[in-house]
Amino acid sequence: MLKFFLRRLLAIIPIVFGVIVVVFLTLKLIPGDPASALLGASATPSQRKQLIADLGLNRSIFVQFWNWFLAVLQGDLGHSILRQQPVGPMVMDAFWNTMILAVGASVIAIVGGLVIGGASALWPRTLFGRACNWIATGSVSTPQYSIGLGLIVIFAVNWEILPASGMYSSTGPQNFWDLLQHLILPAIAAGLAPMGIVARVFRSSLDDVMRADFVESYRARGAPSRKVLTHAAHNTMPALLTISGLQFGYLISGVVFVETIFSWPGLGLLIYNSIAQRDYPVIEGGVLILAVALVLINVLVDTAHAAIDPRVRPA
Amino acid sequence: MTVTTEMRVTAPEQAVAPAALEVEGVSVTFPTKSREIDAVRDVSFGIAAGKTLVLLGESGSGKSVTSRAIMRLYGRSARITGAVQLAGRSLFDLDERAMRKLRGAEIAMVPQDPTAALDPLRRVGAQIVEVLRTHDIEKSRSGAKARALDLLASVGIPDPARVLRSYPHELSGGMRQRAMIAVAIACEPSVLVADEPTTALDVTVQAQVLELFAELQERMGMAMLMVTHDVGVARDIADDVAVMYAGRIVEFGTANDVLGSPRHPYTMGLLGAVPSHTVARGALLAIPGRPPAAGEPLPAGCAFSPRCPHAVSECRDEVPALLQVATDRASACPVVNGGWDRWDHGDEGAARQAAT
Amino acid sequence: MSRIDVTTADIDIFDAPVTGTEREDFEAEAHEPAPRGHGLRGFLRRVWTLPSGVKIGGSIVGFFVLVAVFAPVLAPYGPQEGELADRLQGVGTAGHLLGTDGQGRDLLSRLIWGARPSLTAGILPVLFAALIGTSLGLVAGLGHRRTHGLIMRTLDVVYAFPAVLLAISIAAALGVGVTNVIIALSIVLVAPIARVVETEVIQVRGADFMDAARASGAGAVVTASKQVVPNILPTLVVYCTSLIGLAIVYAAGLSFLGLGVAPPNPEWGAILNDLRQNLYDEPMLALVPAAVIFIASVGFNVLGDGLRELLNVKEMA
Repeated sequence: MLKFFLRRLLAIIPIVFGVIVVVFLTLKLIPGDPASALLGASATPSQRKQLIADLGLNRSIFVQFWNWFLAVLQGDLGHSILRQQPVGPMVMDAFWNTMILAVGASVIAIVGGLVIGGASALWPRTLFGRACNWIATGSVSTPQYSIGLGLIVIFAVNWEILPASGMYSSTGPQNFWDLLQHLILPAIAAGLAPMGIVARVFRSSLDDVMRADFVESYRARGAPSRKVLTHAAHNTMPALLTISGLQFGYLISGVVFVETIFSWPGLGLLIYNSIAQRDYPVIEGGVLILAVALVLINVLVDTAHAAIDPRVRPA
Repeated sequence: MTVTTEMRVTAPEQAVAPAALEVEGVSVTFPTKSREIDAVRDVSFGIAAGKTLVLLGESGSGKSVTSRAIMRLYGRSARITGAVQLAGRSLFDLDERAMRKLRGAEIAMVPQDPTAALDPLRRVGAQIVEVLRTHDIEKSRSGAKARALDLLASVGIPDPARVLRSYPHELSGGMRQRAMIAVAIACEPSVLVADEPTTALDVTVQAQVLELFAELQERMGMAMLMVTHDVGVARDIADDVAVMYAGRIVEFGTANDVLGSPRHPYTMGLLGAVPSHTVARGALLAIPGRPPAAGEPLPAGCAFSPRCPHAVSECRDEVPALLQVATDRASACPVVNGGWDRWDHGDEGAARQAAT
Repeated sequence: MSRIDVTTADIDIFDAPVTGTEREDFEAEAHEPAPRGHGLRGFLRRVWTLPSGVKIGGSIVGFFVLVAVFAPVLAPYGPQEGELADRLQGVGTAGHLLGTDGQGRDLLSRLIWGARPSLTAGILPVLFAALIGTSLGLVAGLGHRRTHGLIMRTLDVVYAFPAVLLAISIAAALGVGVTNVIIALSIVLVAPIARVVETEVIQVRGADFMDAARASGAGAVVTASKQVVPNILPTLVVYCTSLIGLAIVYAAGLSFLGLGVAPPNPEWGAILNDLRQNLYDEPMLALVPAAVIFIASVGFNVLGDGLRELLNVKEMA
């Protein structure tokens, strides 16, 4: 399994390189030049020229890329124009905050999705099963910002039982319990749509598996129904893992919206604010980190897939 | 050719030895949203220990449904009537828990497609060990493992240790089917149900697997119910043959009799020969038309009549009963067995009563 | 025991190959015969027997499309009409059914006018992306191994970016406006569509009739247009219908973040963002556009599910 993991890790090198190229090119394509943004409107032409030379912007685009590429490899993502501090640490702090939210949302997506999908697969004709089916269909289409605002209105404005913004309270203890309270609403908002997808895939996959010959074969061998169900659920794992790799990107997309609504100090909020402030190095650094993280997460998912399904392991 | 209408069909073995498996008037109906589908109608037969009965018929004839209904694998999705006796126990009267304990232990199944019937995510060994421990044949894991090795060797697998560690996809089709057979005989069942066990295999492997069945039967003395559409398989392995068409048994008898001198036009068609008294000897006849598809409403009267070269007007009015036409032989065709006027008219209930 | 003259070949006379287990034949629901009939009654009967997803989803989608088309007739007020004196009236106020926003503009009217840019920004990107993505998928699926590798690895790179983040970056670079939202979303949606098409093409390519087509000497373009496209069309239609639901959410989301349609113009996401400022004064108001975006998205998703059932397309991840 370690060999499989390492091989997949090697295979993503070209993708990561492609990501770096794309990020660099978007940086270049953005209208307006960073020198003006750095200096402000009152700068003289000679000051501009000096800064352009300092930043290496007068060199050829290949030289610029090479320098940027080397810097990125060393973990140097440049300097924030607005805050005058290195982008790297800033982006990494926000990245871990985003991961906390993403993990919270994943828990909701997976647990909720398995319960709802399982119920609609096993009891399709009961009222409960049908309701679960409708919840799955509905939550797939839920815009994260709609549900986020809805949750704020209900829990924070009307009932005032949960906080509507930030990661920790400004007053009182900033402990795990405090974090959890702040996490609940944004995690639900970000996790609801992926939950619907997990539910649908689990339902259709469990449906397929329950019709499979080997399930009948298990029953014909006298296996108790609880055991049969366990084996069936085991066989839905490959399908679930396949989509969860794809869905993590979708979940991160939702997290961007959710962070701005709930002022969660993650990458989404950081990138959003930086767009408003035209702080391009921060935008690019943030996008780069998230993209690389997504690629790595997909490698982990692939490895888990191979661990569960012997058919996808290399011979 | 004499027809003894006063005698009703009974399973030939019944008189000789107590049957290991006794099926009496089993009917299977699938209720669907729009209508009820009668898949199997009033099927009766018996199999003695050490003997093999082949259910012969095309896809949709109800032969696989019969085999699954006997093991009660349909749960609530089918309505099943009739009775099944397995070693003196009435299967349809047991609760699900008791039935579950019999499945795999007393009555076991070899599937049509071993590739689909093995759990693709688990090692072959784990699946055999699980059966042994489910039925308390072996309590300990190591004991069960040793026993699984023996089983794999006994079904003719050359390197049991490797197969034990293998995942299903790493084995050939023949090896997979041998592994499935090992699973089926793990608890030494008294009845083995094999549903088209060779259909998914290569021709050369088919012969080997059939040989294995015969060998195991000789060694373990179990009764075997084999479902197939392949006349060649029936010739190879059957002691008795029951030919099914549109959910009913249309002909029943020893393999030699049924496959040697069929007494139902459908069997004749299956064998590719026509009766000598209507067409020149040796002429081949392709049966026109196709069997009714699953759930399709059946033609009135004898379900085979629209395709039957011998059909007369009575055949379209009345469903002919399966009656004894010679010693240990039954047929549901009056026309080739002496004519409708010598047939017991339409009293199916009486026929069934005589069988039970 | 010996194998004898009669083998499976003899069964072939029945023209009934044994496929799968018989169990499945019986358990499958018996198919209702397609309703027949002419004229209005026949049409109504055919509509009645459509999958419920098509009926429900189609109704929702049809409703929104009609609202967008007839916005000038349906809207009680102009999109920018309003008096500050009337600001922030609650839902259900006389004269303002859904209340008014922070500048006293009628919310119902703004939502009706907003259907135009919101639906456009949801539907057009999917159409553009479907054109480009299908072409890419066809070329990748039917082309040389190297072409396939080049296209698919490039798409892998695009896939590495979270969709919304990519759309935000592009939209931020391009500036505000409906056109730019459409461009940004079109770029983002090309990769998933191309992937779905490529998977389907490779499946179709393995089918027997493709060999027959090749054997008959049909060229690549003819094969693609006559054999491949009709076969992948059901999957494509189903996928794109659901994708419109997602695109509507994303398009409104960009405007919600202030990167799409600029504020005075009515667009669902922009309206939502505007009312969000007054969340603590009049919380119910913000829920109205939130619900509208949700319902429109559900409509396309349910329609997609219904079409999946109607066209018999397998569920994909």
